[in-house]
Amino acid sequence: MLSQGFVSAAAIAASVLFILSLGGLSNQEKAKRAVWYGIVGMGVAVFFTAFGPGIGGYWLMIPMIVIGAVIGARLAGKVEMTEMPQLVAALHSFVGLAAVFVAWSADLERRRVLAARAADGVMQEFSAFAALVATKAPDELTFLQIEVVLGIFIGAVTFTGSVIAFGKLAGKVDGKPRQFPGGHLLNAGAAVASLVLAVLYLSGAGFWTLLVLAALAFFIGYHLIMGIGGADMPVVVSMLNSYSGWAAAAIGFTLGNDLLIVTGALVGSSGAILSYIMCKAMNRNFVSVILGGFGTTRGPAAEIEGEQVAIDASGVASALNDADSVVIVPGYGMAVAQAQSAVSDLVRKLRAAGKEVRFAIHPVAGRLPGHMNVLLAEAKVPYDIVLEMDEINDDFASTDVVIVIGSNDIVNPAAQEDPNSPIAGMPVLKVWEAKQVFISKRGQGTGYSGIENPLFYKENSRMFYGDARESLNALLPLVD
Amino acid sequence: MKIGAPKETSRGEARVALTPESAQQLQKLGHECLIEAGAGSLAGFDDQAYRDANVTVVESTQALFDDADVVIKVREPSSEEAERLREGQTLISFFWPAQNEAMLEKCRAKGATVIAMDMVPRISRAQKMDALSSMANIAGYRAVIEAGNNFGRFFTGQVTAAGKVPPAKVLVIGAGVAGLAAIGTATSLGAVVRAFDVRPEVSEQIESMGAEFLFLDFDNAQDGSESGGYAAPSSPEFREKQLECFRAQAPDVDIVITTALIPGKPAPKLWLEDMVAAMKPGSVIVDLAAEKGGNCDLTRPDERVVSDNGVVVIGYTDFPSRMATQSSLLYATNIRHMLTDLTPEKDGVIDHNMDDDVIRGATVTHAGDITFPPPPPKVKAIGASKPKPKEKEPTAEEKKALETAAFKSQTKRQVGLLAIGGALMLLLGEVAPASFMQHFIVFVLACFIGFQVIWKVSHSLHTPLMAVTNAISGIIILGAILQIGSGSAVVTILAAISVLIATINIVGGFLVTRRMLAMFQKS
Repeated sequence: MLSQGFVSAAAIAASVLFILSLGGLSNQEKAKRAVWYGIVGMGVAVFFTAFGPGIGGYWLMIPMIVIGAVIGARLAGKVEMTEMPQLVAALHSFVGLAAVFVAWSADLERRRVLAARAADGVMQEFSAFAALVATKAPDELTFLQIEVVLGIFIGAVTFTGSVIAFGKLAGKVDGKPRQFPGGHLLNAGAAVASLVLAVLYLSGAGFWTLLVLAALAFFIGYHLIMGIGGADMPVVVSMLNSYSGWAAAAIGFTLGNDLLIVTGALVGSSGAILSYIMCKAMNRNFVSVILGGFGTTRGPAAEIEGEQVAIDASGVASALNDADSVVIVPGYGMAVAQAQSAVSDLVRKLRAAGKEVRFAIHPVAGRLPGHMNVLLAEAKVPYDIVLEMDEINDDFASTDVVIVIGSNDIVNPAAQEDPNSPIAGMPVLKVWEAKQVFISKRGQGTGYSGIENPLFYKENSRMFYGDARESLNALLPLVD
Repeated sequence: MKIGAPKETSRGEARVALTPESAQQLQKLGHECLIEAGAGSLAGFDDQAYRDANVTVVESTQALFDDADVVIKVREPSSEEAERLREGQTLISFFWPAQNEAMLEKCRAKGATVIAMDMVPRISRAQKMDALSSMANIAGYRAVIEAGNNFGRFFTGQVTAAGKVPPAKVLVIGAGVAGLAAIGTATSLGAVVRAFDVRPEVSEQIESMGAEFLFLDFDNAQDGSESGGYAAPSSPEFREKQLECFRAQAPDVDIVITTALIPGKPAPKLWLEDMVAAMKPGSVIVDLAAEKGGNCDLTRPDERVVSDNGVVVIGYTDFPSRMATQSSLLYATNIRHMLTDLTPEKDGVIDHNMDDDVIRGATVTHAGDITFPPPPPKVKAIGASKPKPKEKEPTAEEKKALETAAFKSQTKRQVGLLAIGGALMLLLGEVAPASFMQHFIVFVLACFIGFQVIWKVSHSLHTPLMAVTNAISGIIILGAILQIGSGSAVVTILAAISVLIATINIVGGFLVTRRMLAMFQKS
């Protein structure tokens, strides 16, 4: 058994390592080291806590850790890079569920201790967490209850919310916003009911209050995320990320564990900021994203005139052969078609021919932040030619050819030109300023937001219909 | 159908309406092509090149007119040529029907169908046959080249061992196709280019070509654009302002290229005598509007004039013809596109569909009737765009004032937030036990660190960031570990499940992050 001092020292070390780990993600080279900081920090935290004072049940704990590690490793090894968003969402749900379980357990322990005190008998020999609870004064126990309520509520919302987010991202649940009749009133009702239950629980009602509370929170998580459209999922995933952190912090308060508090707060605040950054990138109000629905239209959207002109691979190839500068704008469609390696081959060929090729990444391209970067990295596209919106948006006017691969809303000029458009005001990539724009797209359908894209009707736009990967593979041999 | 291109008869016209390349494309439509001997020689296409492309070379003009069903030309027909037309024959060329009513009547009387390339409506679909644009593009380019030919200095600024050369300053008036082409050519030669246009919405196009838009500060901002993307005449007050602006520019600029035209009207006089007098000796003015009277007072059509103070004024009207090869290639392609639209079945049979907006618009005589002017096209040329008022650059003081105001409001907000936060803390401290407050300090500090650290994370790493924070949020496992040794069976089971799923989260999260980061590589 290690002494308490050791455990505290380890907690400090782990906290520092976690902070370094998050901070290290500020650039690609440092990031590889940063992950190791995280891993070591987690190892230190788990090891020293597990072998700290007053811990038991190793016969159960160690097998569980081993099994969990094996499952986790297999999941991580198997997952396709395009399925990243789902995986992250699914993993969040585990944290949420664990938080609910731990909070329930904490209350069960509290009840045991109180029961023993009330029995007034010989002070029982408590083990594990119960031993800590036994030392607490009554007012501390009240606070413990508040923390338990928070832990359960946040954890439960995170759990069902993440499950639904996973379903939507994996395509198992319809991506359209969907709510029961009553909409947010239902959510508000459930929240009020939760508050009533919490008060009941604090004034001494039985354990059932916590079970019902969890059920209500499960419902809120489910209903809240069901009401948010697929296009907003990136924000939702990072928001759930934040929630899982706050849940961990709440549990940390319950258990009086500073390391849990520090880590939970780090994760919580980082997720919150990430959500904020993304909402800003979409020019959306954070609250309206969370409350679902893609805003209401403020009048009829402008009529689009003209026609979509199709082009075949040889046409695109000859334009590419003539071009000096090419910008590629990937979107979710590239991920769906698994076209990233075909894109990478094309880029290699064009670069070998001495052309300037760059990528323009919109902050909300794909279904989670940085989605495109990860896919392109997987296909071995060098990251220094992958630029973000602000870096490249002014360069479109001097670009010969832009290839839009499976993105729609993020290149929609209506966002800037049509004040009645549902996405009005959202910053978009100004691809239409380039001399020529080719849009690789499966059909004439609309994007995730379900609105028409005037870009496709512009004079310098040509539609390159077909599955992105097949189109690009057809294009490759024609480019020299 | 037989499509024939005669030799151009106007003096100095070097272009030709059929090139070997366009002939091949026309043959694919099922047509047969004829050319008058020597028609392409001035544009650099000899008869043999046409023969190689399966074009029949016809010796005389008369023979060509007799044989061809469709006659394609560059310039409007001379009365001699009009005389040669016969009933049912189609003529495709520039025509200027508004200015050539007598000719129009003559062609109608002959029973010929005339398609005027200058009447092709300005809609997206018809761009490929918009010969005015393709010729204007060449004129704009050539204007800069002519200017350079007459200008005694470099375009680009250079610092050499033999001394410093300032860049040439070019002013382009009128930013239509020709103006924009001139801007592009002049900037790519390295000159400093400014441009003016009465249509404020083109400022964006001007800036996109790399020139500076001369913004006119005019209260009663009149939008000088008319439907169809052409300029409309401006009010006297506006014109005064405009001239004032040019007068200020005159002593500064080295080269002026004027391209201002108003459809169906003589060219507006924009560069007056006093402005020419104010220019430096050796400066050059190229007037692309010379054919319509010129934008400059001194312009004489088809001539190069030198003013008293040594300013060269070029009033050539044949810029496209001076680049006959290039302009023939482009013009022949425009014609070819027109014939493609006229041959929808690609079977060599011309279907003159008067319901088609483009064909209807360009046809000026058909089946014994004059069909000019055409009804307005069903599709509008360009959506009416709102002129964007250019934001004024704030002055230094204004900027400073703005900054201090922003700083003040920010300070106010921050202090306010801190005060509220402090009050809340005090309230909490009042009711919470000491042990809670200790943890709370840790919590608040950790939140702060989180906020500070995450702002710096680069955008491309947001997904790895999410995966890492997700893995780290598996720290919840500590809570489960603390409880697993409990005496209560229920607690032990709940804790065991928690340990299991938290471990999946930790291991899965970290491994996926590593996989992702391993892929980032530098080129």
